[in-house]
Amino acid sequence: MASYRTEVWSDWCPGCGDFGILAAMQKAFAELNLDPAQTVVVSGIGCSSKTPHFINVNGVHTIHGRGIAFATGIKLANPQLKVIVNGGDGDLLGIGVAHFVALGRRNLDVTVLIHNNKVYGLTKGQASPTLRRGEKVKSLPVPNLQDAVNPIALAIASGYTFVARAYSLWVDHLKEILKAAINHKGSAVIDVLQPCVTYNDIYTAEFYKDRLYKLEDDPSWDPIVRDPSEDEEKKAAAIKKAEEWGTRIPVGVFYVNPLKDTYEERLAQRNPSYSIDNPPALQPISREDGSPIVGPDEFRKIFKRFIVNVKKL
Amino acid sequence: MRKDVVLLVGGAQGSGLETTMQVLAPAYASLGYGVLANREYFSNIVGRHSYIHIRVSSSGEARPLYYPADFLGAMDAETVFTHWDDIGEGAFLLYDLGTARMRLQQIASMEPDLRSRLMQQYREAGIEPFTVEKVVEYLEREKRVRVIGLSFTALFDVLIKKHGLSRAQAQRFRSSILIGAIAGLTSLDREALDLGLQRRFGSRPKVLEINRDFIASVADEVEKEYGAQLKLEPAEPKSGEYVVASGNDVVAMGKVVGGVRYQAYYPITPASDESVLLEEFEGLKIDGESLGSIAILQTEDEIAAVSSVIGAALTGARASTATSGPGFSLMVEALGWAGKNDVPMVITYYQRGGPSTGLPTRGSQSDLLFSLFASHGEFPRIILSSGDHLEAFYDAIEAYNLAERFQMPVIHLLDKFLANMVASVPFPDWKAIKIDRGKTLFKAPTGPFKRFPRDQPLADRPVLGSGAITWYTGDENDEYGHIDEDPVNRLVMYERRWKKMEIADREIPEDFRVKYYGDEDAEVLLVGWGSVKIPALEAIERLREMGVNAAYLHLRMLSPLPKRRVSEVLSRFDADRVIAVEANYLGQASKIVTMETGFMFRKYILKWTGRPVYLHELVEGVLDIVRNGRDKVVLSYGK
Ligand SMILES: Cc1ncc(C[n+]2csc(CCOP(=O)(O)OP(=O)(O)O)c2C)c(N)n1
Ligand code: SF4
Repeated sequence: MASYRTEVWSDWCPGCGDFGILAAMQKAFAELNLDPAQTVVVSGIGCSSKTPHFINVNGVHTIHGRGIAFATGIKLANPQLKVIVNGGDGDLLGIGVAHFVALGRRNLDVTVLIHNNKVYGLTKGQASPTLRRGEKVKSLPVPNLQDAVNPIALAIASGYTFVARAYSLWVDHLKEILKAAINHKGSAVIDVLQPCVTYNDIYTAEFYKDRLYKLEDDPSWDPIVRDPSEDEEKKAAAIKKAEEWGTRIPVGVFYVNPLKDTYEERLAQRNPSYSIDNPPALQPISREDGSPIVGPDEFRKIFKRFIVNVKKL
Repeated sequence: MRKDVVLLVGGAQGSGLETTMQVLAPAYASLGYGVLANREYFSNIVGRHSYIHIRVSSSGEARPLYYPADFLGAMDAETVFTHWDDIGEGAFLLYDLGTARMRLQQIASMEPDLRSRLMQQYREAGIEPFTVEKVVEYLEREKRVRVIGLSFTALFDVLIKKHGLSRAQAQRFRSSILIGAIAGLTSLDREALDLGLQRRFGSRPKVLEINRDFIASVADEVEKEYGAQLKLEPAEPKSGEYVVASGNDVVAMGKVVGGVRYQAYYPITPASDESVLLEEFEGLKIDGESLGSIAILQTEDEIAAVSSVIGAALTGARASTATSGPGFSLMVEALGWAGKNDVPMVITYYQRGGPSTGLPTRGSQSDLLFSLFASHGEFPRIILSSGDHLEAFYDAIEAYNLAERFQMPVIHLLDKFLANMVASVPFPDWKAIKIDRGKTLFKAPTGPFKRFPRDQPLADRPVLGSGAITWYTGDENDEYGHIDEDPVNRLVMYERRWKKMEIADREIPEDFRVKYYGDEDAEVLLVGWGSVKIPALEAIERLREMGVNAAYLHLRMLSPLPKRRVSEVLSRFDADRVIAVEANYLGQASKIVTMETGFMFRKYILKWTGRPVYLHELVEGVLDIVRNGRDKVVLSYGK
């Protein structure tokens, strides 16, 4: 089995929740036996976005908020690749929220991990989009005046077809959800509650300890859409569940719809030349002698409506 | 008989002007004529004044536009009011008799600035009241303009009767009146005209038939009444077949030949037409067989477009985006990431009038410095700028080659003028086209790979999925692509990136990057870039006929600028005889030349009205500088 660790030292603060996410990823990759060369971990910018350097698969550490956008091009150009995005809640739901929503609309087969610590870690603890109104974490001089976005509800409303929440210190639980997310065909998102030990003195391990419960422990909870007619109801139930945030906080899978077609499938349907077996990235574009495969004759045929033959007078 | 004819047709946006161009351009091209047609329009969908300016040339080449025009076809009163002084002595004016009584004051769609300027001019010319009729009378009397007054209503009545159309349906054939008149006056071969009509309406036989019939009747009547006074000399075709297309179209075609496999875009004028056209050909189908596929994505914004293009480029797909100033502004951060990570990504950049949304549907060459310096930090990039349609086609292909060969982003600069001008382009020479993928590896040894070896500026580039494991980051990196802030590593990696630029400068042939047109011993040198090439090439011919021996230096690659060659040419000229010609305020290319060569420009011909540089004003501008010693001439012709 391949090793999914690199030699690179993880420079997160000791005790940071990101370690748990990293461990869960490495374990999940190993258990799924992912081919490191065919796997790409893409990230934005933030403490959490350093993740690709610590995993022994292809890593693309991009710019703030744009991990999903980079991943979209990677996946569409070569849908054979497994693509996993990591970012902070600031990265994915603040600056990158347009891409977050767009990925759901497309249902492209990509998995997104939100390192949700409710602060901007790497820029020293400012309020992130998931921090609730009135809360004042350690480095805020004044309480936060903006309302929080609910990542689960936003993901469902955007069209993600696998939506889950996990806790970074429950590594094995997260690992199992991650495996399911990667195996899911379509856009998957896991909102990972991740204690930032340095800047977040509200959402600490202590805070989560007595509140978290697993959805799967409730036998009546069934997040899976098994027939299109159930979709609306399951979404509504999941959003309602996602609003539960107090003495009890659910983690687990909120919503899964395996029935909706992915963007790759939609594209292939509209354009039968687009196929996963013959991805655009791997198609030949030139002949042996370096001439383009679209030669003058092909050009004339493709663009015939632009070509005018001069009449011999 | 004439060598050239210049036509102007105007009307409300959405009233069929585009049709006129789409029918006439292939029709003339099929007879071997060179055609160049520019479209001017407001940022508006329906109703504002719009016009098309066409030159048909028996030389067989698409030649630059100039004024005055030989023919003005007015679909509405606003066109007559607006373009009354754009036609020359003895030109033809076609207008709708139904608009004769219209007053300038009634034209609600006209911008107040133009209206008051026209009033002033009409007063000075003694045209009062300000009616179409009075303007027409003036032109007939003072400029011996030959007027073709037609009752559009009467013509529509005939159509209605003959084909059982409603009035609203009949009015949609308005452009046919103009096409018919032009066909009559130029005695356009009817078979050729039919070819143009087939192309435009071939898929709708009924519409085709009515158009054919209607146009023929107008053409016959005009030819009978006025004679074929604008008849052209037989053409000297420059090619056995022409590609008749806009700049947007030829770039899309070049991308297809160049092997585009991924294009992402966010809609913006004048760039999106290119992506929309590509989307039409996404399946690359020929007789049911596919040559491949292009994944085209309309993204949520330009940031996503460029970011996804970078992602696609990392997988080995030839990937590009097309945008204009506001969109490029949003792409700038990602551009830096691509520059930092040796990513071969292409941005096709159609310049329009800024700053901000400025003149969204008009042209400019004012984003050169922005594209050269955009994004923070320092990193190498190639900037390629096309001078005409054929160059734009080749450059679209070459942009990918250069990007992959030198492993850096390429910005392909065009402008709205070129984007929207339709030209008869000689069929490209395939012998000149090669695909060069540089050191791209689709199969690589397994395991962690040194993507950025310190001693190799242009290293092997295994794509994602090739077998190798690679890392990329926006931070400074070590040889594997992991973050590394060590000062010595920084020194080496920074230099490593810039060395690629030195290699590019050494290896890309100078005669591709800069071209000198004219006599070796010319005394005046025009220096320009982009679509300035189109008027400049004919301007130097005309100037020679007027006793001024001028040459033109065309800058096609602005980064890396071929400074040795440019310096050598400039050194042969007296600085007072070197004129920068650009469609911007600052003389942006001249600034780059100065920066790279130390040559100080003293003379400028500049234009920033958003309208193209016309041949006649460029010639006048040069004469003004050469004969009157002016330092700077600001051009402003055009509505
Ligand atoms: C365009 C841009 N704006 C701002 C920054 C500065 N910045 C770096 S990390 C960061 C926030 C990261 O917070 P989050 O995404 O929540 O991740 P965390 O560090 O908490 O894991 C910001 C704003 C940047 N790098 N780029
Ligand atoms: S600042 Fe917070 S999120 Fe960042 S590494 Fe430290 S503990 Fe983790």
